[in-house]
Amino acid sequence: MNTLLVLTITLAILMTVISGETGLRSFFSIIINVVLLIFVAMLISWGLNIPVITLIFVPLKLATIIFAGTENKTVGKNAFLSSLLVCLVLISLIFVCQYFAQAAGMGLEVNDVLMGQSQQPGIDYSLIAITVAIFSTLGAIAEAAVSITAGLVEIKNSKPTITKEELIQSGTNIGKDIIGTSMNTILFGLFGSVLSLILWFYPLNYSWGEILNDKLVINELLIMMYSLIGVLLIIPLATHFLAHTLTKK
Amino acid sequence: MNFKIKNQRLIFALICLILGGAITCWTYFSTNIYHKEDIAVIMPDKFEDRLIHKDTDIYQNKDQTRQQTFYIKMLSGKHKGRVYKVINHYYPSQLTTQKYRIHNRVLAKISKNKAVVLSPKRDWIPIMVLTITLSLMIILAGKHTIALLISMILSWAIFFGLMFWDLKTNSNLSILIYGLADIIFSFICLIIVQGYNKKMLVTWLATLIGIFSSFILCYLIMQLTGNTQMRYDTSDFITQDPQGIFLAQTLLGILGAVLDEATDIVSSLHELIIHKPNITKQELINSGRNMGKEITGPLINVLLLIFIASALPETILYLRDNAGLGNTFNYTLAIGLTQSVISGIGIVLTVVSATGASLLFLKQKDRS
Repeated sequence: MNTLLVLTITLAILMTVISGETGLRSFFSIIINVVLLIFVAMLISWGLNIPVITLIFVPLKLATIIFAGTENKTVGKNAFLSSLLVCLVLISLIFVCQYFAQAAGMGLEVNDVLMGQSQQPGIDYSLIAITVAIFSTLGAIAEAAVSITAGLVEIKNSKPTITKEELIQSGTNIGKDIIGTSMNTILFGLFGSVLSLILWFYPLNYSWGEILNDKLVINELLIMMYSLIGVLLIIPLATHFLAHTLTKK
Repeated sequence: MNFKIKNQRLIFALICLILGGAITCWTYFSTNIYHKEDIAVIMPDKFEDRLIHKDTDIYQNKDQTRQQTFYIKMLSGKHKGRVYKVINHYYPSQLTTQKYRIHNRVLAKISKNKAVVLSPKRDWIPIMVLTITLSLMIILAGKHTIALLISMILSWAIFFGLMFWDLKTNSNLSILIYGLADIIFSFICLIIVQGYNKKMLVTWLATLIGIFSSFILCYLIMQLTGNTQMRYDTSDFITQDPQGIFLAQTLLGILGAVLDEATDIVSSLHELIIHKPNITKQELINSGRNMGKEITGPLINVLLLIFIASALPETILYLRDNAGLGNTFNYTLAIGLTQSVISGIGIVLTVVSATGASLLFLKQKDRS
């Protein structure tokens, strides 16, 4: 039988057994996320406008990640709105940086794959590079948004009389831990996705100059930092946002 | 008091911003960083970009072949100050070709009186973005930034060290090396954050059990199903032992997520045991599961997006070339997806290992 299919079924069973209904829902959010990505690829390959598609799918993907994993409506709504706002800020940053990076397309390491494929697909790969960077950061932003929002809602529930200032203070404290843990997830995730790339470089005797200016290396480094910036921005934003809505009532 | 701390942070962030900005500028303008390549700049006058011909490939994709003619002035090396003419062909889709702009700084080589432009000079951009990241971090995390920075630098250092070891042994021991890497990395990360104590050891144990039990499970599944449709030969895996490197990559990629999760669960259960010493086993198991429920979904999604978003350019290319959805999926997304699913299994199993480890070791201590 197909390896990937068996592994996926194993994951579904484990998630259901260990986390029950929420686990099953989380599993489907993962599947939907993959389907959405394939959908994006199809739409772009049909020649539709890349920025428009990206802007439409960012909220869809965020919603899939956030709403499937949380049972609490306040958490879901606040996490979604604040991460959407952070994404919009981040998109402008990514747009500017990718303009200067001029790092579109694929590297030489995929030359074997490209054999037999068109080298002139007629789609602007510099725009696709921006889409890739944005999508790569979405997971980290959504996760941090849910963590901080859920933590604060929990505090508010256990101490309903808490003031706005105290809530913001708690947010800053929890935020510190979240920055640390998210950084680990992002950093090692990156190691896990660039390892083969670097191992591939080595036998070719690339010079430092070539490696440090290589578009794939630069793109991976930038994606790591975009994600970190996203996590850093979401913490004060989600905290203030939530403190405002929770104490308003 | 609070106001004072805030002001201090702003000052430090500003210092970081100015310092980083200076380093960014230095990197951008400096011409002697590299030994093998020379730096040149594209001159603004006589810059030409003209259409050679319009192309339609066998898949009916419409593209163009364009030719750029420009002059570069060498800024370093033996030929410093001289001007060379460069002709660059590119396709506007820029899949494998590069378009240059006026005033671009580029890496160039001179051979037999002809200049070859290698690539745009991109090294200053990560430094610029790093400056922004660190300044933000100082504002938000304050003193904590130092610890974060140290752990980040340490991680990179160990990562590169291990990689060189791996290369020295011709990637024969990949799985062993990166398995060992997991053990060392997690120990160091935990010691930096928590210090050496029983809770930290329990977290360490939970992390390792989570990673290695999922690894063994997935390895068995892969062997039993005969690795069908696992195309390691696609894209990034053109090395001697593709399966080994794939597994090593998975071992490394999952560590951060599992570490966070184990820390979260063990720390919270530890708090619970302290505040409520007579808590029952069942209550502890329930708390562990509840926490796991909230964390697992988003964590798996984080890794999923890191692993498969990077396959988007290839996926689009395959679809563009009418490769069919099934083929496209197998050739471009399957590897990243497999890596995500294996990571997912690790993340789910860590809920069990973290709850179990806390139950066994933390609870017993309180009884005695």
